[in-house]
This record gives sequence, C-alpha cells and structure tokens, in this order.
Amino acid sequence: MSTDLGFWVLQMLNALQLSMLLFLLSVGLTVIFGLMHFVNLAHGSLYAFGAYVAASLSGAFGYWGGFVLAPLAVAALGAVLYFTLIRSMRRAGPMAQVLVTFGLIFVAVDATRLIWGDLPMGSAVPKTFEGQLALLGVQYPIYRLFIIGLGLTVLAALTLVLSRTQIGAMIRAGVDNDQMAACLGINVERMFMSVFVLGCALAGLAGAVAAPVLSVTPDMGLQILIPTLIVIVIGGLGSLKGAVVGSLIFGFVQTFGAVLLPTLNSVLIYALLAAVLVIRPEGLLPAKG
Amino acid sequence: MLETRALTKSFGAIHVTKGVNLKLEKGERRVILGPNGAGKTTLFNQLVGEITPNSGSIYLDGQDITAMRVADRARLGLSRSYQKNTLFDGLTIRENLGLSAAVALGRGQGLWSDPLQSPEVVETVREVAAQVDLAPYLDASVNAVSYGIRRQLEVGIALATRPKVILMDEPTSGVGPEMSKGFHRLLKALPRDLTVLIIEHDMDLAFDVADTITVLNYGEVVFDGLPEAARSSQLLKDIYLGAWEDA
Amino acid sequence: MFRHTPLRLTTLGLMAAGSLIYAIIAGFFGLEILAEIAILAILVIALDLVAGFGGMVSLCHGALMGVGAYAFTVAANEAGMTALPAMVLAIALSAAIAFAIGAVCARSIGIYFIMATLAFGQMGYSFVFQSSLFGGDDGLSGAPRLDLSALGIDLTDSRTFAFYAIALVALAYLVAALTLRSGLGRSLVGLHHNEKRLRALGLTVWRAKATAFAISGAIAGLAGCLAAQHTQYISPGLMSWTVSGEALVVVILGGLGTLVGPILGAILFVVLKHEISSITPYWHAIVGLILIAVVMSRANGVFGFIEARIAARTRTRKPTLKEADADA
Repeated sequence: MSTDLGFWVLQMLNALQLSMLLFLLSVGLTVIFGLMHFVNLAHGSLYAFGAYVAASLSGAFGYWGGFVLAPLAVAALGAVLYFTLIRSMRRAGPMAQVLVTFGLIFVAVDATRLIWGDLPMGSAVPKTFEGQLALLGVQYPIYRLFIIGLGLTVLAALTLVLSRTQIGAMIRAGVDNDQMAACLGINVERMFMSVFVLGCALAGLAGAVAAPVLSVTPDMGLQILIPTLIVIVIGGLGSLKGAVVGSLIFGFVQTFGAVLLPTLNSVLIYALLAAVLVIRPEGLLPAKG
Repeated sequence: MLETRALTKSFGAIHVTKGVNLKLEKGERRVILGPNGAGKTTLFNQLVGEITPNSGSIYLDGQDITAMRVADRARLGLSRSYQKNTLFDGLTIRENLGLSAAVALGRGQGLWSDPLQSPEVVETVREVAAQVDLAPYLDASVNAVSYGIRRQLEVGIALATRPKVILMDEPTSGVGPEMSKGFHRLLKALPRDLTVLIIEHDMDLAFDVADTITVLNYGEVVFDGLPEAARSSQLLKDIYLGAWEDA
Repeated sequence: MFRHTPLRLTTLGLMAAGSLIYAIIAGFFGLEILAEIAILAILVIALDLVAGFGGMVSLCHGALMGVGAYAFTVAANEAGMTALPAMVLAIALSAAIAFAIGAVCARSIGIYFIMATLAFGQMGYSFVFQSSLFGGDDGLSGAPRLDLSALGIDLTDSRTFAFYAIALVALAYLVAALTLRSGLGRSLVGLHHNEKRLRALGLTVWRAKATAFAISGAIAGLAGCLAAQHTQYISPGLMSWTVSGEALVVVILGGLGTLVGPILGAILFVVLKHEISSITPYWHAIVGLILIAVVMSRANGVFGFIEARIAARTRTRKPTLKEADADA
C-alpha cells in the first residue's frame, strides 16, 4: 500500500466522483419514496435513457446540447410514466410496485436495444473540460472534477429549495405526514407529479454526465440500480441527508475497498448494508422519526 | 393473580401512566373506567409487553414479568383483545380460533401434523365458539361477517389461548346496545376461575359485570373499589361523567 | 389457509400427466426444456412458500439455489463425495444459510425485507464471483449426476433425467404442501395476516419465520442440485438477483399464494421464452409487458384468475355456505 499522499488524494477524488453520481440518482428515488411511498426500480433505466439521449445528441448539438436536452427528455418520459403507470399504482403496496417497475426494466432494456442497438456507445468530454488538472500533487481529469462540482451544486440547490422555499416546506410536510399535507390544502397530486418528474430529470442528468466516463450500454441502468438502492436503504428511505450520507458511504467503501481489500471488495458493501439493516432497519437517517 | 406496582410510562413530558398499582385476585372481574386519553390502553400495552414501562413492575401469578417478551407472557397465560379488531383477515372464523389455540398449545412451530385437525384444538374451538356465540359462523370468512361478529371473534381469539388472565380492551366498542347487552351475558357466563380485566366505556354495563372498579384519569388511579362505592362517588362523577358529557 | 380445492388437484393432475406424457414422446430439445421447467418449478415452489403464504418477498432465492448448486458441485468434485450425500449436504447448507437470513431479516417488513434479502443474495453472488475455490467468473463444471444404477436407472440418459426432474418437482411440492398444513405453515399464513396478534398469542415470531425460510431454502437448494446435475456446469450468473427477480415474476404470473399456480407459471414462462425468442430477440420486453399487465389487472396471475372466475360462476348458481351464514 502506498503512503504517498497523492495516492490518497486520487482515491479520495475517485470516491467523491462516484458518490456524487450516485447522489444524483438516489436523491430523486429517495424523495419520491418518502413522499409517495413508491419504489421505482426503473429509476436506473431512466438514467440509462438519459445517457443514450446525451450520447446520441452530442453529435448534432455537442456535449452541452445533450447535457441540457437529456434531463428534459427523461423528465418528459417520467411525466408519461407518471400518468400511465405510477399514479394508479401508488396505493398498490410495495410488492406490486416492485413488480410493475421490474417489468418496466425489462421493457426499457429491450427498448434501448431496439433503438440504439447492442453495441456500446461513446460520447466525448466537452472541450472546456478536456485534460487534467494538477491538484495536491496529482493529475486529475478536469471532467471528473466537474462531476464532483455538479453533484455539490445540485446538493446545495436542493438543500436550499427544501429548507427555504414554500414548495420545499410542502415536500417536507408531505414526507413527514401524508394526511397533514393534504389537510394544509397542498395540491398533493401536483406536488407528487412535480417531484417525480424532477427526480427523473436528475436521473437523466446523471446519465448525461456519466456518458463520457462510462460506456453507454443497454444494461447500464440495471448495473447502477443495485448501488442506488443500497445508497437509499443505508441512508434511510425518504431523506435528502440519507441520500448524501449513503452516497458517500457507498462511494468511499467501494473505492477504498477496491484498493485496500481487493479480495473482499465486492462483498464489503453488501455486508455493510446487511449490518445497517440488522442494527437500524430503517437506515441511518430515516425521514420519519 | 395480576399485579402492578408503581407502573409508570411517559412519552416525553407526558405521563400516560403514573404510579399505577393494581391487584387482581384469581377469578376477579375488574372494569377499568376513565375518559379518553386516561391511559387505559397504554396500561394494557404495558401489561402484555407491547410497550416497556419507564419504571415499576408487573407480576403474573407471583412471577415478575416486567422484562419478559410479549410471546413469553402469553405462554404464561396472559391474553388480550384489542379495541381495534386485530384478526386474521381472509381466514375463516374456525381458522382464526384454531390458530390461536394451536399457538397457545405450543404447536405453532410444529412440522409433522396439522394442529387444526388435532382433537385438543378442535375441542377448544368448539368450546370458545360456544362461549362467544360464534358456532353458526365457524366456516364463514372473517371478511364476510358483520362487525358485531368480528368483535366477538376478537375476544374469542383471546379466549382460545385458554388464558389465566384475559384483558379486554373495550370489547363492545362500536356495537349497538342490544349486542352489547348480549355480550355482557356471555361475559358473565365465562368460567369463574378466569381473571378478567376489562376497559369499558358504558358505565351501566360496567357496573353490571364488575366485581371491582378502577378509574384512571390522566394516567393515575383515582378510584379503586366496589361498584356500589364507585356509583356513589362524587369524584368519579366529576371526572368521568364530566368528560362523558363533554364528549 | 392453503387448501387442495378440486380445481387445484385437477390442475396438478393435468400438469403431472402432461409432463409425463411429454417426457415419453419429446425429442432431445423437448427434454432439455422439460428439465429447465422442472428446475424453475422447484425454485418457484420454494419462493411461493415464503412470499405467497408468509408475505416474505425474497430476492435471494436465486442465491440460495446457487448455494445448493455450488455446494453440491464442490462436495462432489473437491471433497470426492458421491452424488447422494453431496445433495444432502448441499440442501442442508442451503437450509442453514436460509435460516440465518430469515432470522436476521425477521424484523424487517415490506420493502425493507425485499432490500435485505437482495443484499444477502448479492453478497453471495459477489463472493462466488470473486472466489477462486468456486471458479469465479468461469464457474465450475463436472458435477456428477445422481447414480441410481443400483435401481437399474441411468440418469445420464436425458429421457430418464427428465423423469427424475419431474419426480423432484413432485417431492418439492409435497414438502411445501405438508409444511403449509403443519403448525408452522398455519402460523406462517397467520403471520402474513397479522404478525402482532400472533406474537400476542405466544408465537416466537422470528423462529417461525426463520424455520419457514429454511424449509424454503432447502427446496431452493434442491433446485440448485438439479440445475447442477442437468447442465453439469454452473456459473455465478445462477446467483444473481435477476434470477430471483425472474422467479418472482413467474410466481406472480402463475398466481401468488396458490402453490399450484407458480408451477403453471414456470411451464408458461419457459415455453413462452423459447417460443418468443425464436421469433424476436426482444422476449424480455414482452415478458415485461405481460408482467405489467398482470399486476395492473389486479388478477392473481393466470391460476388466480381461473380460480376467481370459477368461484364467481359457482356463486351465481347457488349461494355458498359463507353467504348463507352472512345472511343468517
């Protein structure tokens, strides 16, 4: 093992980058769960859809075109899903929701294969963020720093919206107590739709920024799903703080596990999840006391 | 048979039971009265172990059961019914009673035979069905019978464990006066060696079945004595009837 | 509670007769499909026992099947055991691991139970995927088939193997049905409906859940042994959570909590898979659409739908005992 400072900085940045990507995905999923008690296993498929849209648009509109349009496209798809499936499944219980969204994953994987084919798609890093930056003695790709920055920006924006605005207060009330929110005269239906669509847009954004660093394949949504679920269960379903803590835990355990305990690495995160579920069945920072 | 000493439970700053001392003799029928929020159901929850008291102790047949788990207390012969029906929906009434009897006979984990067919369980189901007037409905699904029948089953499930002490939480809540009276007739016909603690709202009916009466107010015992004394107690009228008329 | 209604017995009889006749007349490819159906059928019987009757929706049953398959193969290849003791050992190990998982997850309900079992399943998958003892990514080959030559039965013949597979399905069904009519099975159904009340009646809830999960795990382990003997090659893919997810889909398509329905589901699923994938490479999408349609229709799968239709028809002819009582 290295005692070199550069090694630790590098791993730390890698862990942060993974954490922020997971945060973009898990925050939408967890707030949707907190508010609507809906488990959307197809959230990863929305992320994959975002990546595909971004990768295919980057040719015509450049990276930034995809960066803006992919979240919008995924949000539109989210709205369609909301009105066709999600709304009528809201009170159906976790089992039915898991199954319907599991079915959606099947459909989504084959739909992407049908539209974009089986071969991985690549997409380029934008010109502005090409190259590396010297940071605390290590050379680190600027684009990955951009992902970290974007994650932190979204985190800051969401924290601000949730704590300072009226819609944020409504969402917090809704997570705390469904009936109370309705009693306060909040248009619950519209709030649900907005939160669901926003969560989808964030998943699309995650896909768009991940496209240049990961290979875009039909099963990328399925691959990211389990890490995302682990994040929100460790963090505690329904809470923004939980999503942050869960993402950081996952990112760091995964990254440092790979370099420090390579033989146990893949088991480590599952063991951690099992431990959390045994000791604190509701996760570390559940939304409801 | 059942005794509590200085039983206290608070949620934050609110005391829901405060130094409650109760002592029930074998075969005693005691009715607990008290306005809404007096801590009656919370007391039951502590007696059976569904919530843990902050301090004080509970004895069943001389044994300290304060730290014992719910299932272990049940196996010692403590049984309860709930104010809100807590049945096995979707099963038949026979299956509801049979399941209760099977678990109480220690056959809830068995692998080699069907306890519902065993003579002891069949016999218990028959007896309990007679005790709570469910015999005609045994093969009906819980979902298909009236609310009043479900109320009777609620108590029937508790009786099917063949307990030494049974706690009934407002067994007649939500049923009409006729059915309520009928239920009290059933109650009086229970074996005399069964110790019964009942939470009841209707005072006349309470006086009808009680050997002794305890009145709770804001988590404290404010009256403990014979029904005649309770009936003439001014304190009881102030607290309980006042609250009753307000409601 | 589980009952053998005339419809269920008839369906079982038809499926048994159909598969036996098919095993006699089918060609090599048909026999392969039959074995595939049998493995899936045993797995979904295991899953329906806990998910359908006990409400414990597990996403680790694929992994439990994998434990059986790997334990069998390693015991036979590395420890030099003959096939029968290796099978017994593998099934016992699956049961023990399932007992531990069931005990640990006993407090978790709903989505938390699903997630917890997912975590344990993936833990096993990752472990096997990385472990050199278990061949890692490459898997293991060379598992023996059960040697029944003393009885004059040769399981290397694929027709004989198909009969053996059908017999194991019958065995799995028998174990599940007997469990459901035991005290534990009665408690399991009660737990699904009202865990709190059953605890108040004196049941040690965690032990009942863990024991039921162990029996289900043993059946899943049996499916694993059969899978290992069928292809004589196993890979970590067997343990992935998607296998458990697919098993859950089959249970749902067949009819959750009917025990008979999931077997019907397994037949339909494997046959459809082969039929559809010969027409289009997108058979997963079609399964997904069918799944969404079935869940959204609120029918309890194919078999549940048939049961409900027949119940509705008998109701219109004469009032059932239930209604006669409710009217009284």
